[in-house]
Amino acid sequence: MRELTFTAAAREALTEEMARDSRIFVVGEGIGVRGGNFNTTLGLYEQYGPMRLRDTPIVERGFVGMCTGAAMTGARPVVDFMFFDFILDSLGELINQTAKMQYMSSGRLKMPIVLRGSIGIGSASATHHSGSYLPMFVNIPGFRVVIPTNPYDAKGLFKTALRGDDPVLFLEHKLLLNSKGHVPEEEYFIPFGQAAIVREGQHATVVALGSMVRKVQEACDELAKEGVSIEVIDPRTIAPLDVATVLQSVHKTGRLLIVDENFGPCGIGAELSAQVMESGFDDLDAPVMRLNGLHTPTPYSPALEAAVVPNTQTILQAIRDLLAE
Amino acid sequence: MATEIVMPRLGWTMEEGTLVEWLKHDGDTVKVGEIMFTVESDKALNEVEAFEDGILRIPPDSPALGSVIPVGGLIAYLVKAGESVPFEKSSTPAAAQSPQQSLATAPSQPVTIAPTISSANGHVMPTISPRARRIADELGVDWKTVTGSGRSGRIIERDVRAALSQQAAPAAQTSQPVEISPVARRAAQELGVDLNELGAKIGDRRITREDVEQAAASRSSAPVSPPTVGDTRIPISRVRKITSERMSASSQITASVTLTTEVDATELVKLRKQLKGDASAANRPVPSYNDLLAKLCSVALAEMPMLNARFEGDEIVMSASVNIGLAVDTERGLLVPVVRDVQSKSLRQVATESAALIESARAGSLKADDMRASTFSISNLGMYEIDAFTPIINLPECAILGIGRIVPKIVVVDAENERTAIRHMMFLSLTFDHRLVDGAPSARFLQRIKQFIEQPYLWLVG
Repeated sequence: MRELTFTAAAREALTEEMARDSRIFVVGEGIGVRGGNFNTTLGLYEQYGPMRLRDTPIVERGFVGMCTGAAMTGARPVVDFMFFDFILDSLGELINQTAKMQYMSSGRLKMPIVLRGSIGIGSASATHHSGSYLPMFVNIPGFRVVIPTNPYDAKGLFKTALRGDDPVLFLEHKLLLNSKGHVPEEEYFIPFGQAAIVREGQHATVVALGSMVRKVQEACDELAKEGVSIEVIDPRTIAPLDVATVLQSVHKTGRLLIVDENFGPCGIGAELSAQVMESGFDDLDAPVMRLNGLHTPTPYSPALEAAVVPNTQTILQAIRDLLAE
Repeated sequence: MATEIVMPRLGWTMEEGTLVEWLKHDGDTVKVGEIMFTVESDKALNEVEAFEDGILRIPPDSPALGSVIPVGGLIAYLVKAGESVPFEKSSTPAAAQSPQQSLATAPSQPVTIAPTISSANGHVMPTISPRARRIADELGVDWKTVTGSGRSGRIIERDVRAALSQQAAPAAQTSQPVEISPVARRAAQELGVDLNELGAKIGDRRITREDVEQAAASRSSAPVSPPTVGDTRIPISRVRKITSERMSASSQITASVTLTTEVDATELVKLRKQLKGDASAANRPVPSYNDLLAKLCSVALAEMPMLNARFEGDEIVMSASVNIGLAVDTERGLLVPVVRDVQSKSLRQVATESAALIESARAGSLKADDMRASTFSISNLGMYEIDAFTPIINLPECAILGIGRIVPKIVVVDAENERTAIRHMMFLSLTFDHRLVDGAPSARFLQRIKQFIEQPYLWLVG
């Protein structure tokens, strides 16, 4: 099977859907002739022209508002934020209009809008370009929040996002953009709300988000040499969140660790741990543990930056701690 | 100190680059801003300039031209005049240890375990994880005596499983993991039902709330409730005791199925009226509906002896005679006198015998012999305006026929011509033991009875 990078796989999903549905258009800064800072739209301008690949000024609230209006009237916009951090400038529109419009119109209006951008710590992008802010959006009713961790999932989930009628946040971790993986030629979709068990194991369950999946895998390789088998779950979408798969796994292992580079307070780990406690209390053989990035603005210095996110070694230690509970 | 020159990241997503050309050479003096070498990344050819002044030192094992180097990979050093160069002191490059190496040497921390946690009053309180508590409950392990191996001495799953093999034999006997729904577990706690005992009875399948409630109900029939003011207590009579034992034996042993059907009894009613109106029979008992049904059942049973059968050891015995038990309500309780050899007796004989039997049943003078060897029973609740019910098989018989009331109804007698009529209708309820006979033959039997009721001449021939 052929191999594609994460970005190329997502781009293939976009170009397939744009060819199929003329209502899809992309807006963002440098996504036209330039093909996107992260090559998200490379080559699409030549194919679909300036009407459907529309460069914008640096005014997020403006173009998110316009795209929300466009979606209400039947278009299917894709907003490319380049760095997801800048979605923050459009929160008023997003939370008060984009997320609520279907509800306020009793479902008469649809909101087929995809909001994509790069997230995450790990390439010395400094504090304005390293955010993810996942939990904020999961907290708002109306958004779908998607966080693929490999090229195959990136394409399948992006296709689902482009076909749906809800606002979807499509989060692309910077450290994964160039990672390669098998992507079949034939068309496929990955439904939202279905976690992937990326590794089966007996002794503990680790739920990992974004770039943490790969790091957790490395830690688990290490533990496997000692005969410790860990089940690793990649939720793939955070809203909806596939708690059932996690509960099933915890029923088997009795132990749960959530590894997420995002801030801990009120985060996905807090949410999952509460849900597992509510629905799987009698399956827990140890307290649910979390390993998060430090609760601090992200430093620019690569050495300091490395110190604020979980790495293979701190993950390994967290799993050992969990097993010792 | 020597400054490392590494493969720079020349784009957001660049992970590796190709060393294309050195523009400075080993030992050259370089100044800030001077171009040292070129690199090809995924986008373009890039020139890499010096950020510091110094002397360029290229180690002998530096990557060759054209080789692909990961971002951050060591290429060369910049040193001050007179400063030593790392690769000249040692052959080991100053690159960071790989994470795997450092992990392999990291000592694993031994876990210190406190045996138990003492509460303020000095009472020793072991802590236990929810999972371990659940498993202890399921396995019947008394966890209060278990030593925990979790952090701070918490009892965890493996401690409970280890304890299981050590605990007393009674626990070991009921040590099958019991599967139980959460609702059932809660019900068991509320009703005080021992899950291990129940689990042993139930076997492999998951215990449901119904099981727990049944267990609680059967237990509550034992005289364990404390005396309450106003309750009436009566000793169990002999008839009650026998009835109770036989009924519970029947419901436990048989695989009973009840079939019901509605019958047009108009012709039977006519027949009975004629018999009743016969002046010549004035001094003799008029056959009751039960007698009529006993007689016609005997004909049907002779045709289908499987419904007149019983288990005896390894064999099924199909009785040659049809002895019909008649369920009689008396002051002392339910009694079932038996009319024997109904198949070879006239209707008049059956009526005479049954009248005598019922009378002595009500008078309390029925002999034990009068209640033996029935092969089929009839229970009639028609006088209480009951239509259909589920009679309980009178062991060791195969089946019992329940008779409902006869009631006039408007029924369709000719659908084609849209004709209705007032007919005397009746329900029959046949309970049979599926261990002995299957559903289809039982249904055919009931159908035959129906036919005999609707066309009484068919069985008058005997």
